[in-house]
Amino acid sequence: MKTTALTKTYRKRVVLSLPELDLPAGEITAVIGPNGSGKSTFARILAGIETSDENKPILDHISVGYHPQKSFPFRMSTEKNILQNGRDPLRASELMKALGIETLAGQNAKKLSGGETARMALCRILMKRYELLILDEPTAAMDMESTLAAEELIRKTCTESGCSVLFITHSIQQARRIAGRIIVLHNGKLVEQGDADLVLSSPQQAQTKRFLEFYGI
Amino acid sequence: MGSSVKKAIELILSADPELLNILSTTARVCLTSSIFALLLGVPVGILYGAERFPGRRILLVLNRTLIGMPPVVCGLLFYMLFSGVGPFRHLHWLFTVKLMILAQVVLITPIIIGVMETFVADTAPALRETARGLGFSRLKEYRLLINECLYSIFSAYLLSFARAIAEVGAVAMVGGAIAWKTNVMTTAIMMYTNRGSFTLGIALGLILLSLSMLVNIILSVMQGRLSR
Repeated sequence: MKTTALTKTYRKRVVLSLPELDLPAGEITAVIGPNGSGKSTFARILAGIETSDENKPILDHISVGYHPQKSFPFRMSTEKNILQNGRDPLRASELMKALGIETLAGQNAKKLSGGETARMALCRILMKRYELLILDEPTAAMDMESTLAAEELIRKTCTESGCSVLFITHSIQQARRIAGRIIVLHNGKLVEQGDADLVLSSPQQAQTKRFLEFYGI
Repeated sequence: MGSSVKKAIELILSADPELLNILSTTARVCLTSSIFALLLGVPVGILYGAERFPGRRILLVLNRTLIGMPPVVCGLLFYMLFSGVGPFRHLHWLFTVKLMILAQVVLITPIIIGVMETFVADTAPALRETARGLGFSRLKEYRLLINECLYSIFSAYLLSFARAIAEVGAVAMVGGAIAWKTNVMTTAIMMYTNRGSFTLGIALGLILLSLSMLVNIILSVMQGRLSR
């Protein structure tokens, strides 16, 4: 699938200006870039939470699931939170088990820790099959063990359902682990895109090189 | 003072008919007005908190002004509207329980709107982003928002009930504090104190204080239960 070109202006300042982008089906595309590069704005526009200046759909008639940076736990149990997005208790149970929160099924979601809330929220978004799944730093609050389990679960879901996954992260190591393709943003502009290994091993643009050097890659 | 308190407790325990009449009038006025205010205030408060529309800020300023409106001003307004020279004189509502309820609804609805608006404005953006991200309908989004608001609705109700039961200015003006008809606890305390009959005044004061404590106990219990 392809996104249309888009622009976003806040208070007369262009914060995002992107050309058409490819989001291949069955593949994970990581969006990387420093803070303020426009990653989350791009995700929110794609998800339809915000509108672009063009004020028209960026994607045509496809189902989009969006996991915001801070996903909201509804005032109910962990399991009921997950079942809000699908009625298959077996699938919910599988997902909770995969992320190690099956023992928290009956607990009030408002009382979960940050990492547990993040795992619950990931289970919740993975309950339904979307054609495009946008995950905005879904593992930011998780420890390493949970992060690896979450990455495995996302990979499995992507392969099994054939959906496109747009994975937003500021961790280059994570992008390297999980993504087949990479989009590099800087100051709201596309710097580079392509095969993850190629972009990370031999970046073509100076901004990408600087960004990678900063992370010691 | 000590003997007055003792007599007041005896009066409560003896189920004095006048005391019971005052209590039942108070219950009728306060329960009815607070329920009407709840039915009006909760949807409006949620709407003000969750939606952004032209004129919202003006409506919020107006609501905050109404929260601070002195009850006697409200009483005066309704007195003028329903007195013998007012536009609604033909209804003959002045010095009736109906007008006392109406005046209290006007006084306490803004409190409920204010409590709900503050809570919803704080909660709705994050809930909405998650709900829309999951592809939920507007109806489901609102159902989840109301579920988040349960404790706020409950505390807004108790707050408005407490305000209604403690209110004296407006109900005294539009009700006239007529014994056996429109006399409520607060107006009765004033009346009996002016007459120098402290016993009934103290008895009513004790009941008012107990009710206030009860409201706080219920709030604490509900807060504990809803956060489980």
